[in-house]
Amino acid sequence: MENQSNTIHSRLRLAGGLIILGLIVQALSLLWNHPLSFIAFTAIGGLLLAIGIVLYLLAVVNMAASKPEDGTGVQAHSRQS
Amino acid sequence: MPTFLILAVLVITIILAGLVVARPALTVARGGKVLAFLAFFIFPVFAGLLGLENHMERSKQTSFCLTCHIMGQYGRSLYVDDASYIPAAHFQNGRVPRDQACYTCHTDYTIFGTFSSKLKGLHHIYAQYITKPQQPIKLYHPYNNRECLHCHEGSRSFEQGALHTADAQTMADIKSNKLSCLSSGCHDTIHNVQNLDHAKFWKPEQ
Repeated sequence: MENQSNTIHSRLRLAGGLIILGLIVQALSLLWNHPLSFIAFTAIGGLLLAIGIVLYLLAVVNMAASKPEDGTGVQAHSRQS
Repeated sequence: MPTFLILAVLVITIILAGLVVARPALTVARGGKVLAFLAFFIFPVFAGLLGLENHMERSKQTSFCLTCHIMGQYGRSLYVDDASYIPAAHFQNGRVPRDQACYTCHTDYTIFGTFSSKLKGLHHIYAQYITKPQQPIKLYHPYNNRECLHCHEGSRSFEQGALHTADAQTMADIKSNKLSCLSSGCHDTIHNVQNLDHAKFWKPEQ
């Protein structure tokens, strides 16, 4: 169970890290008025953001999926903390 | 929305996301789950859309188009002191907004057009930075009268112009884009960048 909780936390960290990185790229691109800044915004920032959001949503789905496996009705992830 | 406000939204989102990254155990509680959802989904999507809208608006600016070296001569042509240069006459007399001069007359170009136009926009960047743009640059399609008509249609000088009304068919052909406004003998001096070395230039008063 601890492993599962750690896995979810590490996925959240990874998702959050990618989202933060994407947001930083997007913020920096807004400071530069140039066609390449638009590419950086969409291709790099947007991609990092999209991957981060998908990873987060997958972590949420996994979190929810782990609930029924626990016979006690208490979410495994919750019991750890 | 002003850029600084979008930057503020981005910074707030980064702080919120950083909080969850630093302490993922927060997501155990219901409030933490809501925070994570806001920080990892709602706010990033919102901030991303605001940023995209800001980039789209900024890419309409004349200065944005002129950041590419190859467009320099076209920007220069807007200052030619000769009323027969159609873009220059429009730019200098405020018939198009000076800060969005390129976009106003090329509304369907690259990222503002269809999906294939957007791909062409990417090709422009590839050509600019990876290969070399072919000279002279050309429009992908003949210039569409629609770009002229969205301002001139209905105006007296256009609707009652002697040559436009020479016969009924001429006006119909102009409006249906069968007869180009830029046809030889009509408004046929456009950017004409090949001859700029011999042109006289207008210097706007500061």
